[in-house]
Amino acid sequence: MSSRFFMSDSESESSSDSEEYNKEPVGISAFTFSDEEEDQKRIVRSAKEKRYEELNNIIKNIKNYKKNRDMSSLLTSNIYKSLCIFCSCLSFEDLCKAYQKALNVVKKEEGGKIPGFFLRCLVDLEDYINQVWEDKDGRFGSSHILFFLELLLVSCVGFKCVYVVIDLFLFIFNRKNMSKNNAKSLTTLRQKLRKYTRDFEEEIRLFRENPDAEDSDVEKDEVDEDDDDSVMDDDEPLGPAAFKKEPSIPKEEKKVVESESDLDSDESDWPSDSDETSSSSEDDRKIEGRTRETFLKKKVDDLEGEKTKKEKIRDKRKTKKEKGESDDDTKDGWQSVSKKAAIPREKPKMFGKDDEVTIPAVVKKLSEIMAARGKKGTDRKEQIELLHELFNIAKENTLGLPVQIKIQFNLIMSIYDYNPSVSDPMKVDFWEKILVKIDELLDMLAITPELAIGEHITEESESLEKPPYRVRGCVLTIVERMDEEFIKLLKACDAHSNEYVVRLRDEIQTCKIIDKLLQYEEEHGMPSDICRIYLRKIEHLYYKYDKKAAKQVKGELPEAEVTSLNEMDRLCKYIFVRDNTDRLRTRAVLCHIYHMSLHDKWYEARDLMLMAHLQETIQHSDLPTQILYNRTMVQLGLCAFRHGNVKEAHNALLDIQSGGRAKELLAQGLLPQRQYERTTEQEKQEKQRQIPFHQHINLEMLECVYLVSAMLIEIPYMAAHEFDARRRMISKSFHHQLKNSERQSLVGPPESMREHVVAASKAMRNGNWNLCRSLLLNDKMNAKVWDLFHEAEKVRLMLGRKIQEESLRTYLFTYSHVYDSISLVTLSEMFELPYGTVHAIISKLIINEEIMASLDEPTSCLVMHRTEPSSLQSLSLQLADKLYNLVENNERILDQKPFFSRGMQLLRRNLKSDCCSREAVTVIVRRPSGMKGERDEKTEETESEKGISLWDTKQLLYAGSLSFLFVYLPKSKSLRKCWGPSGDVIQAGPKRLKNFVYIFFFNEMLRSIWYLI
Amino acid sequence: MGENIYDLTSKLAPFLDRHLVFPLMEFLSVQKTYDETDLRHARLDILSNTNMVDFAMDIFTTLYEGKEVSHELIEQRSKVVSQLNSFQEETDPIFKIFAEKEVQKQLQSSRDQQSLMNYLVENHGFRPEMLDTLYTFAKFQYECGNYSAAADYLYLYRGLVPVTDKNFVVSLWGKLASEILTQNWENALEDLNRLKEAIDSGASNSPLQVLQQRTWLIHWSLFVFFNHPKGRDLIIEMFLYQPSYLNAIQTMCPHVLRYLATAVIINKTSRRQAMRDLVRVIQQEMYAYADPITEFVANLYVDFDFDAAQEKLKQCATVLENDFFLVACQKDFIENARLMIFELFCRIHQCISINMLAEKLNMTPKDAEKWIVNLIRQAKLDAKIDSKEGHVVMGTQAVSPYQQLIDKTKNLSFRTQILIPLKGCCYTEE
Repeated sequence: MSSRFFMSDSESESSSDSEEYNKEPVGISAFTFSDEEEDQKRIVRSAKEKRYEELNNIIKNIKNYKKNRDMSSLLTSNIYKSLCIFCSCLSFEDLCKAYQKALNVVKKEEGGKIPGFFLRCLVDLEDYINQVWEDKDGRFGSSHILFFLELLLVSCVGFKCVYVVIDLFLFIFNRKNMSKNNAKSLTTLRQKLRKYTRDFEEEIRLFRENPDAEDSDVEKDEVDEDDDDSVMDDDEPLGPAAFKKEPSIPKEEKKVVESESDLDSDESDWPSDSDETSSSSEDDRKIEGRTRETFLKKKVDDLEGEKTKKEKIRDKRKTKKEKGESDDDTKDGWQSVSKKAAIPREKPKMFGKDDEVTIPAVVKKLSEIMAARGKKGTDRKEQIELLHELFNIAKENTLGLPVQIKIQFNLIMSIYDYNPSVSDPMKVDFWEKILVKIDELLDMLAITPELAIGEHITEESESLEKPPYRVRGCVLTIVERMDEEFIKLLKACDAHSNEYVVRLRDEIQTCKIIDKLLQYEEEHGMPSDICRIYLRKIEHLYYKYDKKAAKQVKGELPEAEVTSLNEMDRLCKYIFVRDNTDRLRTRAVLCHIYHMSLHDKWYEARDLMLMAHLQETIQHSDLPTQILYNRTMVQLGLCAFRHGNVKEAHNALLDIQSGGRAKELLAQGLLPQRQYERTTEQEKQEKQRQIPFHQHINLEMLECVYLVSAMLIEIPYMAAHEFDARRRMISKSFHHQLKNSERQSLVGPPESMREHVVAASKAMRNGNWNLCRSLLLNDKMNAKVWDLFHEAEKVRLMLGRKIQEESLRTYLFTYSHVYDSISLVTLSEMFELPYGTVHAIISKLIINEEIMASLDEPTSCLVMHRTEPSSLQSLSLQLADKLYNLVENNERILDQKPFFSRGMQLLRRNLKSDCCSREAVTVIVRRPSGMKGERDEKTEETESEKGISLWDTKQLLYAGSLSFLFVYLPKSKSLRKCWGPSGDVIQAGPKRLKNFVYIFFFNEMLRSIWYLI
Repeated sequence: MGENIYDLTSKLAPFLDRHLVFPLMEFLSVQKTYDETDLRHARLDILSNTNMVDFAMDIFTTLYEGKEVSHELIEQRSKVVSQLNSFQEETDPIFKIFAEKEVQKQLQSSRDQQSLMNYLVENHGFRPEMLDTLYTFAKFQYECGNYSAAADYLYLYRGLVPVTDKNFVVSLWGKLASEILTQNWENALEDLNRLKEAIDSGASNSPLQVLQQRTWLIHWSLFVFFNHPKGRDLIIEMFLYQPSYLNAIQTMCPHVLRYLATAVIINKTSRRQAMRDLVRVIQQEMYAYADPITEFVANLYVDFDFDAAQEKLKQCATVLENDFFLVACQKDFIENARLMIFELFCRIHQCISINMLAEKLNMTPKDAEKWIVNLIRQAKLDAKIDSKEGHVVMGTQAVSPYQQLIDKTKNLSFRTQILIPLKGCCYTEE
């Protein structure tokens, strides 16, 4: 309520003049109301009457809504909206409540029959809510009505019905411009009404079927009802019979009329409005028919006058409406053409009707358009359209291909410009467009051989008219950008969706364009450009498996046949020779290696990798290249594995697999970071680096190959060095897997690939090669890993054989101490290997002194020599090894004798020259805490009169029990603060010590120090 | 003709000078592996660009009997002769200068080419242009097949030009070729080393050029290494242990591995280590090049397949016989290869039957037994022959842990003893 007051206040303030102007009539109506209330109080009525009256009052209010809707359809004020909905809800609720109260009476008096007026009200309300609901026409209101309503509000505070009237005005006419809040209220109202009417469904249906019957019923009961119920009170007297038959028609008509009139003239409406209110109040007071008649007569006159007025207005409005429509049309037209809209605007500028469309003119316009490029307010879409138009004009006027090329070029550039963010992919329709455009551009270039296009050509030196054509622009850049956009588009798609596949189809077109440009550049371009486009081509080629090429490698196809391998060879070799930037060459080398590895050209790939010396320099290159390097290494490793070079495969894959970050290293997805969160910027960058899905390398296969290689190396090694204290780990991640499985209390049958490998490793450890093989080579693993190879059968055979061989080795290492001698024939049967192979393997073991045994040729037996040391023996052997190292170290120190003695001599010379030799050499020795574990940090200061304790100190230093050594040089007499690596300052003894030279116990450091001395 | 699949002449020739190919051709015609007329045609082709017109004419007449010697050759001959005369006139004063005793003395005593040059210019009217004349004349002589004269002139030339001269390296090549063709191996080796230095230090050349030159050098040096008494050590040193040359072999000419392998096999002194490195290289290059010799090594040391090695050894014999460079060391090779097989056998086995051994070594059992007895007598082999069973029983090689420990530590205490006086001397010096 407060809001209502507030509102009225604020509004009244703003519109005080009109308030004063309108005050009187409102005041009158207010008085009449109050009179009525007094009347009501005095009259003694039955319960039924009371209740019915209450109901009627509310219903009347509701009816007023409808009328008011018509009357004040001009209202636009937002402030009133919430209010009106709120009130309408209220009034409806009031109605419901009142009906509830009256229900008893109704039951009593009418035997449960619902009173007709009430039903009618419900029906009407429903109708009009529906109407409002569907009403989508917005209407412009004028402030006059607003003022009027405010006046009403102010003067009638306290009279509920007036509130309701005002509220309803607002409610009805602001439906269109309702805020969300209001819309909500409307919805609730509608829902409530529906819910409510559901109870009276039957009756309403009946009523709708035969409203007149009900009406007459009601008329019998209630005389007043007649006036109230005949919906259009004002029109009724004019032709009651006609209206009674078809009550809905005049309703609509009236509505239209009034709304129209409202639109144009408020004044004309105003009196009618007041009439209505007054008439309704008169109805309430049940004035005699005479007065009513006179009133009505007067009204009729009024109405007639009004009607003519209204008709005029209607006409006016009609024309207006038409005008509006035509306006709308033009507006719509403008909107739909808005992209082109500038053209009619520009067109005359570009090519005034009389102007000749010449090349300079077009070029001038083009540069005008392009000048707006990149500016803030530029409509990029419009620019594209402009250029498009310009292109068409150039085409129509046959200005020659060079001009077209130039425009096309700029057009493509502006399409690229359309997407402001570099990281986001361009829109698909633009992408498709650009493919076409570039294709066209290249076609045009191809048929104008006398045209030179390039970045080095300046705008001034362009020549579009005469044959040695020169156009500024770089096609290569465009195509490169296109390629990048293509990758971006792919990355933006979900890799497993159909969308991706659809997008991927564009690769054919992309490749075609690249080929076209390649052809063009080969004829016209400079080597550096050719290199660039070659690399583009290579990057589309290198990851694809060509069956023909694979056949060629196997020798099934003649060498002359053109396959992707030959193609790669040609392109890469060109780049190797011609490229000046290291980057292109590096990438070409990597792609070449990748491609060769893919096609099982193992030796060539390996040699190229070795010759390129990329391992040392790759960490200095950019990240995409490093990723490519990783991919290449992986592919090389896989190739090595296929060729049975397990060790090489392991080495190649080790770096990628060791950290468990293969996914990240190959840029095939983001890994969650453990230590720190990525910033969005970082994430964006990382996402940009990702490789599109169709180029991915299967990570599971990769890991499996790695683990199997590790198994084949590690298991025999572990068996051979079981008691070796210095056994090193060959593959950490393999050990990790093993440990994981050992930690489990219950190991089930293997499910995942890793479990299979671990289980196989365990079987191999026991020399059970059959189990090992069946664990690795089974249907499950085939489906997961092995079938992914192009020559799966060959790989399986190779792997089976490797398993046999390595199992044999493992078996010999593990169980040799059990045997005194063992027959080679038995071994070859056990492991199902040919005798020769067993012999070769064992021979190798003996030669490499991996097992202490020798062969007995006549009986073909392996005879063991009992030399495996006991644990005590092996420990003492280890001790001997350590002693050996110590002595080696000592000797190494003496190897540096030249340096040492030179230093000593210098030192001694210094000592002699300095008189105060007592302080001559100060050696501060610091033993850092935790070095030995038992002693705390402690500083020993050794001062030697002769300064010759250096040697001993140095020995200590070498033994590793000291961390630094400081030498004072008396001659220079300068002191510099010296800091140890742990951050603490080394305290100088006397202040005169000015120069410390600090020494690490590394040999190299020491050497340099002695030089310093 | 079946043997010439292993003939490398065609592979070697592109890396050799025309003149250097002649000895190979001669050898081939002696071996009769190729058709004689084909060879003659080839030789004529080679000669076409040289000044050895007389030689060409000889071949021409033998090739096309009864036919007239073509006009071109006759014309060329007269041209060459006139050229020779004019050159001789030009160079006459130069040789006069060098013929003087004083100059000779100076030449021998002086080491610095600059001072020598100054001396000649000041005292004997030597002009710097004369050097170029000298160079072209040497080239001319070489083309004429007068190698010793060419070598002499180039010797003088080299003594006078600075290292930076553009013709310096070229003159070295000429000198080397001349020395090779005159079979003066001592000088050739010297030149070879000099040339190697020049190539290795040639920073101005592109890597590709250096690689090319190295490949040439590798091929040319084969002449020297397989004829010079010390060559067999040097070839290992150069080909196997100088990475740049090993790389050159691996990339450009893996067929040279045959010579390297042979050299390693016939080298008695440092075989073990060299063999290990060689095996590594051969394994790497298996796909690019294989012939019986490399396969023999691979079979023996990679696969330990003695039977296959035996097969290869037989093939090796024929290959060596037909190889210009290796024909001289065929006997050595077979002997050493046998020893290698046997040595491996002994290391692996503790008991071998003589029959089997004889078979493996490609000998009769009796010879084999004799051979083994000789080896045992020369204390090369710790073994006994069990003649009842016909076995060779190896001495036990097994070392007990005690022995190992003692071996290790004994050595240590000795070495530490050595250290003490050294340390002491530091003190006493004071």
